[in-house]
Amino acid sequence: MTFKLPAIDYLALAPMLVLFGAACAGVLVDALVPREWRYHVQVPLSLVALLASGGFVVALANRKEHVVTAGSAVVIDGPGLFLQGSIVVLGIVALFLVAERRLEPGGAFVAQAAVVAGSEADRKQMRKPGVTEVYPMMLFALAGMMLFCSANDLLTMFVALEVFSLPLYLLCALARRRRLLSQEAAVKYFLLGAFASAFFLYGVAMIYGYAGKVDFRGINEAVLGSSNSKTLLLIGLAMLAIGLLFKVAAVPFHVWTPDVYQGAPTPITAFMAACTKVAAFGGLLRVLYVAFERSSWDFRPTLGVIAAATMIVGAVLAVTQTDIKRLLAYSSVANAGYLLTGTLSMNRDGLKYTMFYLVAYGFTVLAAFAIVMLVRDSDGEATHLARWAGLGRRSPVFASLFTFLMLAFAGIPLTSGFTAKFGVFAAAVGGNMTWLVIIGVLSSMILAFPYLRVVVLMWLSVPGDDTPTVSVPGAFTAAALFVGVAMTLVLGVAPNQALELVNDAGAFLR
Amino acid sequence: MSTVLALAGEVTTGEAATFYILAPIALIGAIGMVWARNAVHSALFLVLTMLSLGVFYILQAGPFIGMVQIIVYTGAIMMLFLFVLMLIGRDASDSLIETLRGQRTVALLLGIGFAGLLCTGLGRAVGSMTSVGLDEANAAGNTQGIARDLFTKYVFAFEVTSALLITAAVGAMLLAHVEKVKAEKVTQLEMMRARFAPGNYPAPKPGPGVFAATNSVAAPGLLPDRTVAGRSLSALVPTRELTEAEAAPKGTEK
Amino acid sequence: MDNIQYSAAVEYAAASGTLSSIWLLFAIPLASAAVLFLLGRRADKWGHLLGVASVVATFVLGLVYFFQLKGLSGNRSAEVDLFSFMPVGSLKVDFGLLLDPLSAVFVLLITGVGSLIHIYAVGYMAHDPGRRRFFAFFNLFIAAMLLLVLGNNYVMLYFGWEGVGLASYLLISFFFDKPSAATAGKKAFLMNRVGDAGFAIAMFLMFAQLGSVNYDDVFNGVNQLTQGTVLVMGLLLLLGACGKSGQFPLQAWLPDAMEGPTPVSALIHAATMVTAGVYLIARSNAVFSANATLQTVVVSIGALTLLIGCVIGCAKDDIKRVLAYSTVSQIGYMFLGVGLGGAAYALAIIHLLAHGFFKAGMFLGAGSVMHGMQDQVDIRRFGGLWKYMKITWITFGLGYVAIIGLPPLSGFFTKDPIILAAFNRPGWTGWLFGGAALLGAGLTAFYMTRLFVLTFHGPKRWTDGQHPHESPAVMTVPLVLLAVGSVASGFLMSTSVVDWLTPVLGKHAEEHGRLGHWTVTGMTMAVVALGLAAGVLLFRKGTALEEQPAGPVVTAARNNLYADTFNELVFELPGRYLTRALVFLDNRGIDGVVNGLAAMVGGGSGRLRRAQTGYVRSYALSMLGGALLVVAALMAVTLG
Repeated sequence: MTFKLPAIDYLALAPMLVLFGAACAGVLVDALVPREWRYHVQVPLSLVALLASGGFVVALANRKEHVVTAGSAVVIDGPGLFLQGSIVVLGIVALFLVAERRLEPGGAFVAQAAVVAGSEADRKQMRKPGVTEVYPMMLFALAGMMLFCSANDLLTMFVALEVFSLPLYLLCALARRRRLLSQEAAVKYFLLGAFASAFFLYGVAMIYGYAGKVDFRGINEAVLGSSNSKTLLLIGLAMLAIGLLFKVAAVPFHVWTPDVYQGAPTPITAFMAACTKVAAFGGLLRVLYVAFERSSWDFRPTLGVIAAATMIVGAVLAVTQTDIKRLLAYSSVANAGYLLTGTLSMNRDGLKYTMFYLVAYGFTVLAAFAIVMLVRDSDGEATHLARWAGLGRRSPVFASLFTFLMLAFAGIPLTSGFTAKFGVFAAAVGGNMTWLVIIGVLSSMILAFPYLRVVVLMWLSVPGDDTPTVSVPGAFTAAALFVGVAMTLVLGVAPNQALELVNDAGAFLR
Repeated sequence: MSTVLALAGEVTTGEAATFYILAPIALIGAIGMVWARNAVHSALFLVLTMLSLGVFYILQAGPFIGMVQIIVYTGAIMMLFLFVLMLIGRDASDSLIETLRGQRTVALLLGIGFAGLLCTGLGRAVGSMTSVGLDEANAAGNTQGIARDLFTKYVFAFEVTSALLITAAVGAMLLAHVEKVKAEKVTQLEMMRARFAPGNYPAPKPGPGVFAATNSVAAPGLLPDRTVAGRSLSALVPTRELTEAEAAPKGTEK
Repeated sequence: MDNIQYSAAVEYAAASGTLSSIWLLFAIPLASAAVLFLLGRRADKWGHLLGVASVVATFVLGLVYFFQLKGLSGNRSAEVDLFSFMPVGSLKVDFGLLLDPLSAVFVLLITGVGSLIHIYAVGYMAHDPGRRRFFAFFNLFIAAMLLLVLGNNYVMLYFGWEGVGLASYLLISFFFDKPSAATAGKKAFLMNRVGDAGFAIAMFLMFAQLGSVNYDDVFNGVNQLTQGTVLVMGLLLLLGACGKSGQFPLQAWLPDAMEGPTPVSALIHAATMVTAGVYLIARSNAVFSANATLQTVVVSIGALTLLIGCVIGCAKDDIKRVLAYSTVSQIGYMFLGVGLGGAAYALAIIHLLAHGFFKAGMFLGAGSVMHGMQDQVDIRRFGGLWKYMKITWITFGLGYVAIIGLPPLSGFFTKDPIILAAFNRPGWTGWLFGGAALLGAGLTAFYMTRLFVLTFHGPKRWTDGQHPHESPAVMTVPLVLLAVGSVASGFLMSTSVVDWLTPVLGKHAEEHGRLGHWTVTGMTMAVVALGLAAGVLLFRKGTALEEQPAGPVVTAARNNLYADTFNELVFELPGRYLTRALVFLDNRGIDGVVNGLAAMVGGGSGRLRRAQTGYVRSYALSMLGGALLVVAALMAVTLG
């Protein structure tokens, strides 16, 4: 038998292909280049690859031609390109954090992950440069995320899900300090992730049973057209949703978030908080808006309850946290709830503002973790909140920046947090989800408390003997911090350009 | 393709019989895998389930996936699992004492509830369905059909899977491989040289001496004149001074 | 109350000339705050001077704009759209400013009184190591407050609203080493959050119903809404106003907020921020006038709060708390005014302005007393201070005469008309609310007399170690200026300001109610005289130094009328149980892992190690539970 390879629009796939290629090259670099050179080759390689990928995204956006390519596996449309672009940009900023080696000799990653934690060999490798495999891993993850946002069928989506998850599981285990915590976080993330993936896959099977197809367009047609029992569709949708809600960290599938955020190396936590959020919501948006739009009446109440629970539980639990990374983790959970609120409005505004929120949140959270990386003592990062008391006196500039970021998280006006929250809530009101907005407003009121508690702690307490110092950031962290803070400000004060961008992105291509 | 392919919508007697024999076995395998205390038994139960599933696939006109299931999962992956288990040691089984109160009960209830829910749902849904069968998909042969899908519709996903494999390989190496630096590799010759180098005492270190009151490594060896043998002190273990009571004769010498 | 004559539509003129730069008003203090924050200790030496200079400059600028605005003919307003904030699609919010007669008087109040209090604070905070930080927060507050009154839409108002809330929270907790200050800060924060949530939801409602949050669009569109929608929207706005202004049932935070430094109490918790609720209602007069039930609710809250404030004020012995409850009660009068609607809107605003002067003056006076008495706040421990601090005595006295409403000071011209308007509300409710307002006037006279007499007259009751003395000039000059304001402002304002505000609050026909102007004035004077006499007679000989056993009414009043207990029962307990339940869940699963990990890292036992792997099970279990629910819920859809 003969068959023809489908037409592949290589330009449309170029942003991902560049990253995949660079990641493979990175693996080769690790195999062939002498150890002391690897870092100096990997970082520029990754950076150039990301820039090239971003360039291709821009070129595609300018082409203004939305295509379905590689069979019907990949769709390149406005929102998809916007999400891909966001992933690339946030990825570059996260790469800056990953590449930082000034704060700690050798960077935030362990030199050899296989050495038993706490052993003599582990103490010996304390000052050796960290593994450079993190760069290709990160590129693989980024490429997977981009594919996840522009997959056009559930199978491709599943492969993309695994492609971006597996490197993340690995990266979580590579912290230089507190290695047991880091390894445990990785195992937890891996096991629970596999559990969630199983749900996703089972859901795909159910939907295939109902629709006879796995591509979104086909599912969309089948939602009204198929004569099969709708139960099958809804079980499938439920399972699919569980898989996706795990990635976005929605209650009750958020249980991994605090542990993993706390255990993972901080640059990786930042990377997950910013980029994984974009990818996971990108996928969720596409699934709900393209494939299941017509059964929105079926899933909106259930997912609405999940969104409400996510906002409330995330906010309430954030109140009692004493560790800054855990606090940011619960804040990330609550933010997933706000994003779900925007997503569930199921209208164009919802799509637009959810995308805007993703970008705004991404920059803020990257900058926040950049500061977490800077506050350190001889044992590494000082993440316990009690240690942050009086930081405002020690280093007013960084405390001011962190205050600004906290205010952005709290949604105080003139920061991107306010613009974004206002946008998703307004969209949800427009989509007849007012009850969810009321809960959202209440939750953000609760959530403002822990943020402002940090602010008060920093400014209105006397620094003690054990108040850590804020290290002088290296060029990389400084760049990440600057970009994060600047974007938080710009998107808060003059969000015009960005909003026009999401507006021009238009709707998903079906 | 020599396999007899099942027809759409029809269940032959042989197929039904095979199913009813293998389905309980598959189920027992699955439950046994969770239940077994010994990891090797668990793995073997899993093999049982996978084999049964492989046969199901073949029965349902999917010979390729059935054979892959048997060759790759059962043959390769599970055997690798078993090798690893044997290497680690068969006795290294985890304790199965449940420390979380109510965990097992709740897990059991939720599991049964979930299964029940899915069964009712699927029962309702599948009952009214007309099955399509694989006639069309298998028109040019089962393997060829899969090949066509893999290299046309899902070619990108198929290629991207390679990224997954690379990641897995790199990850396994990252987490398991300790690099030996050349300098750390000590040859026999070098060890001997070091042993007989000036300043080193080539004989074994003294153990607790004949006059020592305890044979703990924390207690230093004593020389016949009751002074501490310095070389018997470990750099890692802090020296323990014997108390009066410990140093006193124990009354066992009679 | 149908005597309001709205012009066909609310319309604001675009700003031109000098007025197009009104953004400078909030930009100057904001820039100053930023400089003070960022320079850190480097600015310690001159930081307070920059803080004062920026506010004084803003005041001068405000005056310039005020006269510019006055010079305009016709539509006296200046609207500036700095840039479009969210221009996409159906949602359009501009970063727009609006200077109209209402916001202009607020700008003058904020910057004018603000300048004086800033100057005062230079002296008051002279010995505090955190003075620069204090001025940074203070400037931030001024900027936010100006943004609040200058916005041309509700989102801008909300910006300022959140900003002043933040500044107030930080300033209340300024003396963070006092646990009571930290608690007070939290209390203020939480109660304000309740109100803010109402305000935020009201904004979304506006957006959903009218597609805009601009003042002009909302006011012009409010007639198309159903009465139910207007009622809900109004009630939500009212909730926000009650939170910010310390009105029933959210009044409990305001007296506790006195834990902050005295200049903060004077500026934020007496003169400006707490009146933001009144501003909100006055600004939204089109919404509130559109529904009679809504107005009744506002009036009831005003009347109830003014009585609560008076009653508790009678029982408190802390000089700042008495003043705080008097603030609660005076804002009650303002709510009464804005609730009555019609001509009373303007009355509420002039009472607000007059109150800004005399209450700020009295707070600063109290601060001056504390300054001279080693931070003693218990009025039972004062007495006979008039000899030692003459300027404080006179200026405080003028404020005191003003608040109880004796002619010819400002309270007389601003409070009496509100009482009159309350009596003239149609129906039996007029008697009720009028009576409440009248009773409040009497009680005010009583407890303020008590405060004044116990502090400045009668026998000395202070301990030996204290040497009362007058404060330095940097503190007394603002006192004198504020006293002059409270003397002069009343008469000026009751005439010209009412006319000035007409374009915003509507033009009103002369009212002819059931009671004449002089009748009510006579009644008020009689009641005030009664209260004053009672106060003098009871307290001229001083008072016991300790709390005396008292009847149930006084005990209740001492306990803030059990407001805290009520709050605890209604808000805190469910919240606490919710938190406790969630914390319990958290301890069970998540904290356990962390604690276990800490133990394990420290070389923990095998048992804990087993527990480690165990906990992933419980995570997976909760996910399975969630999955069960999600699948069941979605399947239920097909069954239904």
